[in-house]
Amino acid sequence: MNHVTSETFDQNAKAALADSQLRGALRNATSLFGQRRLAAASSLTNWEDLRQQARAIKDDVLLHLDRYLEQFVANAESRGAKFHWARDAAEANKIICDLAKERNARSIVKSKSMTTEETHLNVALEAAGIQVVETDLGEYIIQLAHETPSHIIVPAIHKTKKQIAELFTEQLGIAPTDDVARLTSTAREKLRDRFATADIGISGVNFGIAETGTILILENEGNIRLTTSLPQVHIAVMGIEKLLPRFADLDIFLKLLPRSGTGQRLTTYQSFITGTKTDPTSDGPEELHIVMLDNGRSKMLSHPVTRQSLACIRCGACLNACPVYQQIGGHAYGSVYPGPIGAVITPQLMGLQKTQQLPYASSLCGACREVCPVKIDIPRLLLYLRSEITEKAPKGGLGERLAFKFWRSLMTRTWAYQLSARVGRVFQSFVVKDKKIGPVNALGPLTAWTKARDLRPLDRQSFRELWHNELSKTKN
Amino acid sequence: MQNRSNTDAARDSIFQSIRANLAASVTHDALESEIHHEAIPVVSSAAPLVSEQSLVQWFKESLEAVDGHCLVVKNELELTATVSDIISRLQETNLRARRIAISDAPEVESLVKALHVDFDEVAVTPSASEVFSFDVGISCAQAGIAETGTLLLDSSRERHRLVSLVPPVHIAILEARQIVGTLGEALSQLRQTEKVSPIATLVTGPSRTADIELTLAIGVHGPQELFVVVLDT
Repeated sequence: MNHVTSETFDQNAKAALADSQLRGALRNATSLFGQRRLAAASSLTNWEDLRQQARAIKDDVLLHLDRYLEQFVANAESRGAKFHWARDAAEANKIICDLAKERNARSIVKSKSMTTEETHLNVALEAAGIQVVETDLGEYIIQLAHETPSHIIVPAIHKTKKQIAELFTEQLGIAPTDDVARLTSTAREKLRDRFATADIGISGVNFGIAETGTILILENEGNIRLTTSLPQVHIAVMGIEKLLPRFADLDIFLKLLPRSGTGQRLTTYQSFITGTKTDPTSDGPEELHIVMLDNGRSKMLSHPVTRQSLACIRCGACLNACPVYQQIGGHAYGSVYPGPIGAVITPQLMGLQKTQQLPYASSLCGACREVCPVKIDIPRLLLYLRSEITEKAPKGGLGERLAFKFWRSLMTRTWAYQLSARVGRVFQSFVVKDKKIGPVNALGPLTAWTKARDLRPLDRQSFRELWHNELSKTKN
Repeated sequence: MQNRSNTDAARDSIFQSIRANLAASVTHDALESEIHHEAIPVVSSAAPLVSEQSLVQWFKESLEAVDGHCLVVKNELELTATVSDIISRLQETNLRARRIAISDAPEVESLVKALHVDFDEVAVTPSASEVFSFDVGISCAQAGIAETGTLLLDSSRERHRLVSLVPPVHIAILEARQIVGTLGEALSQLRQTEKVSPIATLVTGPSRTADIELTLAIGVHGPQELFVVVLDT
């Protein structure tokens, strides 16, 4: 499962489509989250205004990202935070491994962070001989199973409780059970020991506030609070785009993010962390290290279409709304970020070469754009990336280009269009079965195209002919 | 140090890349103005105007909607009786409630002294290594948000970071006058202090997860029971 890559998207998708258990789980999850999101959004009368304003704030941040970063860093540093800068994943992992080694850390607790999934931090830490345990329940399950998350918000969405129970029996030695409460309390007990003895806690960041230097992290379980208050060292990893200008902007984003993600009015916990503690006797870590990751983000600033990718607040609403994700789930994308937003940011982060199939993993229906709390025009981005792919490496060769030229000349001349329709009506009888053009064999590109699609045959009369005939009848 | 200069070089090249890419986008920005979203004033979804009495009621309803318990008391005497009652009821369950961890708020200390219920131990702000053995944590809260049933815990004003988090039960004392209507009001209260507190937490109900088959489970890493006692004198 974990050797799946974006390059084999077509095969991954086919395998996922054949997995009826996976599809059942996805159907339940995505429809439930979709309904909850809708209910939560409509509980506010000004949802559309909030989206518009949120996007305007993000646009402002991105257009002046250098200034806001300087302000954020200066404010957080003045409160005791230490900053580290990483151009790519390898640099970020090295910074964190070095911090751990310098402190002789043996055990690290980690809370859910998509950014550290992106850098594959756990692999790097384990290679350096440092034990790291994921503490979010979903991530803990995934780590025990040696898998990767399949959803941004619900990492183990693809696993049934039966599978999880078997995993716990095998790895943690509990008695077989199918009681979710029992499974949850097992994870709680097992992880308590790890929290109590960890040397370092690693978290992600939802928002960084430029005017105060505050980082904000949202959660429901409490593992982030534990990760950031028990160990003496807290390392927070954030993408450079995660900033908001003012503290007051949170009023908007805290309304949008939980509602879009899980349909909650507010997640159970919001931790506001501003530098390190001022009183040495008070609770909490002595050191706060913030690792700022670029890893291809700054490049997205170079065009307004790609720049909007950086407005994403990782709510996962577009995954739940996407008819493609609903059928195949997250793993088929073969990338850390799945779904519509994954199909646009993965190629930008990792380069188009190995991710060419992702921008095509969409019907361009626009459901993602409708639900996005920061109004990212994902279909536009998909088209932009598709055109980049074809411009860089024109596919199809001479035959395809000639075919499209021919198509254009038919479509732009009335007489040619009408003639071709008449010809088509005669010759389609060879391929029409059961009133549709199903899979056809040995017809060149049509074979591939009709493998997963049905075409509607041309009607006996065109609309134009129908209109003309009916009109002449009424006149008589 | 080698490390330091490496990350300084990385910092400079990231800033350089940001500035170069933003400069390169200027010509495209002119052609793609519809992608840029203009700021608009957001009219807050009108919070119903309520008296302080109904703010308490509103808070209670919101908290109960997210599986928290809310009890309203009229004076210190009732407060002591209510908290004693909560603990003695818990002692009949598997939550035990025999060892109590409290914050350093003087109100909490005097409350615990007045409790008429048996327990094995009381500790003020136990350390990270000790706190795991406690059954109940008691603290105050610095504000309440009525629209969401949320507590604001400001750790620069009270040491309640661990006692409100690690024990399976958290009992919070909140004064009615500390309840505000909306999240926005609480945020501006947090911002108004001269220096934003090093650590502040918003707490809405007990710890929860739906990570296994989307089945709700209460009390995964944080408290599984949250009691808020509102002192409405």
